Amino acid sequence: MKRLSIAIFSLVILFVLSTIIVVDETEQVVILQFGKPVKIIKEPGLNFKLPAPIQVLNSFEKRLLEYDVPPEEILSRDKKSLIVDNYVRWRIVDPLLFLQTVRAIPTAKTRLDDIVYSELRQELGNHDMHEIITEAREFIMEKVTLASNEETNKYGIEVIDVRIRRVDLPRENEASIYARMEAERKRQANKFRSEGEEEAQKIRAATDRDKTVLLAEAYKTSQQIRGEGEAEALDIYAVSFSKDPEFYEFIRTLETYEKVIDKKTTLVLPGDSKLFKALTQ
Amino acid sequence: MATRRVMFGDQEVEIPEFNFKILPLLGAAFALWLFTGVYMVGPDEVGVVRTFGEYTRVTQSGLNYHFPYPIEQVNTPAITEVKRIEIGFRTLNNGQYRTVEKESLMLTGDANIVDAEMIVQYKIKDPVAYLFNIVEPELTVRQAAEASLRTVVGRNNIDETLTTGKFKIQEGTKIQIQLILDKYESGIHVVAVQLQDVSPPKEVIGAFKDVASAKEDKNRMVNQAEGYRNDVIPKARGEAEAMIRDAEGFKQARIKRSEGDAAKFTTILKEYRKAKSITQKRLYLETMERVLPGIEKIIIPDKDSGNMLNLLNLNPGKGGNK
Repeated sequence: MKRLSIAIFSLVILFVLSTIIVVDETEQVVILQFGKPVKIIKEPGLNFKLPAPIQVLNSFEKRLLEYDVPPEEILSRDKKSLIVDNYVRWRIVDPLLFLQTVRAIPTAKTRLDDIVYSELRQELGNHDMHEIITEAREFIMEKVTLASNEETNKYGIEVIDVRIRRVDLPRENEASIYARMEAERKRQANKFRSEGEEEAQKIRAATDRDKTVLLAEAYKTSQQIRGEGEAEALDIYAVSFSKDPEFYEFIRTLETYEKVIDKKTTLVLPGDSKLFKALTQ
Repeated sequence: MATRRVMFGDQEVEIPEFNFKILPLLGAAFALWLFTGVYMVGPDEVGVVRTFGEYTRVTQSGLNYHFPYPIEQVNTPAITEVKRIEIGFRTLNNGQYRTVEKESLMLTGDANIVDAEMIVQYKIKDPVAYLFNIVEPELTVRQAAEASLRTVVGRNNIDETLTTGKFKIQEGTKIQIQLILDKYESGIHVVAVQLQDVSPPKEVIGAFKDVASAKEDKNRMVNQAEGYRNDVIPKARGEAEAMIRDAEGFKQARIKRSEGDAAKFTTILKEYRKAKSITQKRLYLETMERVLPGIEKIIIPDKDSGNMLNLLNLNPGKGGNK
């Protein structure tokens, strides 16, 4: 009898406790009465319900949820194969609908995978690879987000963001990209080396030309100076010697004799020459 | 244990008699329970208190109190702590790095591949949003960072990415990550994005290095040519200067010599004018005296009897035909 009363007392406590619901900031709840949904609580705080098993509680995450979609190979419009790795940020907006259609998060992820993959494949198929890599990426992500969201509405799920984390090329295509990159760089390297030769050649040629011009100009100047010297000398001679041209001729003749006649000279003097006369006098 | 009989409706039940001996024990337990509400908020933290699951207040550093569980709960996220995630590489425990190619290799706008490594630093800007809006904050930042970096690199071509565009990419990525995180209402603030190392993939790095060395080669060739110029031109200038100076010397010498000659002539002329005939003769003879000694002399007595040809063989020293 004593034990029974303790058991009853405990049951009463449990009974009271099971009527209290504490809804956390991070969750939302659906209250089912014999399986029939009667109340949805999305705001956090203290709430009450009828005790179990009359009313039971189903709690769902309210925070933004993450789903990392496995990488998929998708063809672009220009038939290029791309490995697309994307992720989805989503949340449960209608816990009742969610409960009725997918029940739990793992199932929801499977649905998301199907929807997002098909939307993404369709959208990427509308763009060339170049667009996907460059400017169209954000546009694609937004479009896929919107389209996926329409599909997931019926599961009580809102897709907040579908984001392409990586777009890569399949392994076998990477090799051809590397080959192209290498060829491109070789071309650049060759260009630099040829340009170097060209510029060096230009500098050398200009140098040689400058040298030639420099020396020619110096020759010109020096010849001019020499000419001036000659002219001035001539003038001085002319002024001086014109005082007595005959005497100059005489003196100059004597100087010439002195220069011209040396030890090897044989002098032939006619008998009537002035010199002979001078010698014989 | 003592029991007490109580009428419950029309039934009589026994409920346990309250034992006053356990009252102090219960009191102590109650006090202990109340005491669990004391909590400390560190200097780098804030306390976020939930009352029956609902966010009610934020408390600051120091000793604080909340009603004990299950009435109130507290979280103390560190809001000044800057967290760091690595994209494209991981720092190992021994301080070395390991690249994660899956993260670091990415396509540029011109369909080339670069290897980029990045560090993202972030902290909590809104502790309430941070705690109650998102799950797995680190993964959230990581995914946003990877997506952003690739988006931004995809807008640039390889040469920009490897050289001048680095800063632009860094800033663009930071803005993009923040946009995504704000869209998620994550309460996270991106403090800094640092592109660590942007390089060509290792498969083609040789070719890229060769371009760099080709650039060097170009500079070297140009420098050598400049060196040639710097060697040749000053020498030529020197040579030119020498030619001009030489000519100037010649000019001066020519003038001085002519002046000398003129002076000499004038002096002699002055003397000559004093006694023209005598001086002329004297000068002539003096010259002859200087010139004629020691040379061979042939004198032909008469102009008419002179036959030059006869004389040729007279002198054996002068060659001639025998």
